Amino acid sequence: MIQVQELTHSFKIGKKGKERQVPVLKGLSFAIKEGEIVSIVGRSGSGKSTLLHILAGFLKPDAGIIQIGDVRTSAFSEAESAKFRLDHFGFIFQNFQLMPGLTAFENVELPLKLAGVAKKIRREKVQQLLQLVGLTEVQDHYPNELSGGQQQRVSIARALITDPPIIFADEPTGSLDSETEQDILLLIQSLNKTRGITFIIITHDDTVAETADRVYKMHDGELTEGGVGHAS
Amino acid sequence: MQVNDQIDFVRQHIKKNKLRVFMTILAATMGTAFLIVLASVGFGIHDTLRNEILDNRLINQIEVYSSEMDLAKVEKLKKREHVKAVVFRQSVSINQQSELDGFIGSHNMTVTEFQEEAKAGFALQEGRLPENEYEVVVGNDFAENLIELNTVDREAEPSTYKGSLIGKQFTYKMGLYEEKELFPEKITLTIVGVAKEPAKDWIMDFNIYADAAIMPDLTRIFTSHVDDENSELFYGNVNVYAENLENVTAVSKALKDEGYSVYSIADQLEQLDVFFLAFKAGLVFVGTIAILIASIGIFNTMTMAVTERTREIGVMKAIGASPKLIQRLFLMESAWIGILGTIIAVIISYGVSFIANMVLPIIVSAALGEEEIASMDITFSIIPWQLVIIASAISITVAMISGWRPARKATKIDVIQALRQEL
Ligand SMILES: Nc1ncnc2c1ncn2[C@@H]1O[C@H](COP(=O)(O)OP(=O)(O)OP(=O)(O)O)[C@@H](O)[C@H]1O
Ligand SMILES: [Mg+2]
Repeated sequence: MIQVQELTHSFKIGKKGKERQVPVLKGLSFAIKEGEIVSIVGRSGSGKSTLLHILAGFLKPDAGIIQIGDVRTSAFSEAESAKFRLDHFGFIFQNFQLMPGLTAFENVELPLKLAGVAKKIRREKVQQLLQLVGLTEVQDHYPNELSGGQQQRVSIARALITDPPIIFADEPTGSLDSETEQDILLLIQSLNKTRGITFIIITHDDTVAETADRVYKMHDGELTEGGVGHAS
Repeated sequence: MQVNDQIDFVRQHIKKNKLRVFMTILAATMGTAFLIVLASVGFGIHDTLRNEILDNRLINQIEVYSSEMDLAKVEKLKKREHVKAVVFRQSVSINQQSELDGFIGSHNMTVTEFQEEAKAGFALQEGRLPENEYEVVVGNDFAENLIELNTVDREAEPSTYKGSLIGKQFTYKMGLYEEKELFPEKITLTIVGVAKEPAKDWIMDFNIYADAAIMPDLTRIFTSHVDDENSELFYGNVNVYAENLENVTAVSKALKDEGYSVYSIADQLEQLDVFFLAFKAGLVFVGTIAILIASIGIFNTMTMAVTERTREIGVMKAIGASPKLIQRLFLMESAWIGILGTIIAVIISYGVSFIANMVLPIIVSAALGEEEIASMDITFSIIPWQLVIIASAISITVAMISGWRPARKATKIDVIQALRQEL
């Protein structure tokens, strides 16, 4: 499903004239199969988020090829990339990234609005999904009227609403207590089973890594398979 | 994203910052209203002057002077291109008196060609046109100038002729101003028609209109009493009527080139129009500056809006909103400010214009203490639809342009940076 070859990226840092290149990704090659839960672990600053940003199309890599399905996403323009995200990706962030001016319901509805789905169909789908993540009761609450766990469920529902084949999650349980974390992980696992969604989860939490089918370890700009994955 | 969802989205954002958006709209409104009202004064003055010049005269009339105007020349003028009619009027230049049923008056004899007069717009109120040399048409106010003979010298209000004129006969005499007695020869004339009253009510028409056939009779009487070679009984004036307004300039220019002295209202109006076109353009330009100042407000508001929503824009982009959509949403917001500001400005401008036209003449005439000005029918401010279109176009365009950069800025927001921002 996802194939990455020789992915290289470095950041320029320092003041103008005295810049230097800091390599973050040093020629990564790996593949992720459809329906897998893959987790990426590694020390802080090792480049996990950067990898995710590049896979998602937020950032253009210096070199390398990314192929998702039959499409070479690394060759996309910004607009193409956005369109592709809307159709194929869902995102779960550590700090939820909900729209503060929209209710839980409207937040979940937003991607469908962007996709130009008619209002009636939107209502139905959102209702269904809110039920699935158990938020029907609080659907008219604004994000600041929700608990952390509830907010993360809203963001999961938002990630799911367009039925994307792939969901990226960057520290999805990073701001949650361990009990809530367990809830969310169970939800992810069940979604993976029932809907066959591929999850790519970045974490430095072993509990999270254990739910994955495979674990990649990021170290020094290189990716190695193995570690604590439950399949290993 | 569907259009109604886009509109919804923009509306929600505007609601969130009501006061700021309101102030921005207020500035746009003031700028646009200033432009419209300012330019409307140009339109008002232009219109007033045009009406003043046009007065009773015909717009396609060209007055032609030549030292030796004669019938042959007139015939040649008639054959010119784009000429509808050529009216050659010759008036008696000496003292004249008419007497009708014991009423007398001084009426000016004008000899003309009725066929051409009709083409140029001469119309009768009643009766018909003359068919022989002793039949005449009289001006609409002919009777006003006929005073009962035995009341002439009395102190009391002289009584004027009240009866019907059609079919009446009167005697016409001529004389010299410097001699007390008129020439003894009388000509008896029959009134067969009364001319239509002139368009403006302060113009009086006391004329006697006769066909050129009467000229030999009059000339004979004149020459039998006056044997000065240099004195002429008639003085003539020629008016050429162009087919329509567009031809006036061409015809009058051609005549000028041939050595005629020419005067036409259209020429004068054209100069006036050119002047006022420049004047109005100047006013619109000054007004546009006000709109430009207002546009700074729009620019600020939109820049603030983009900065405030950086994280939200980042989320939208992450989820999959295209840069085009983001740009459109912000452009719609600034356009909305421009459109609403313009609509309110147009309404206010019509109000201001109406009040100015009502109140200013009163103030001016009170200040100057002169009745004339009040009766002069000045329009201070006119807002034609063209002005509304021009002002709206300027105002909305400026609003869109000032919203352009902030909207571009929104599309350039880096997703990763935006997502890093704390709530
Ligand atoms: N925009 C940037 N400009 C310069 N350097 C950057 C930029 N973003 C990230 N880096 C650097 O790239 C490296 C990798 O950062 P990244 O955010 O991918 O780490 P991470 O593995 O996600 O860490 P964490 O677990 O703390 O989230 C870091 O050393 C960081 O300093
Ligand atoms: Mg990270």
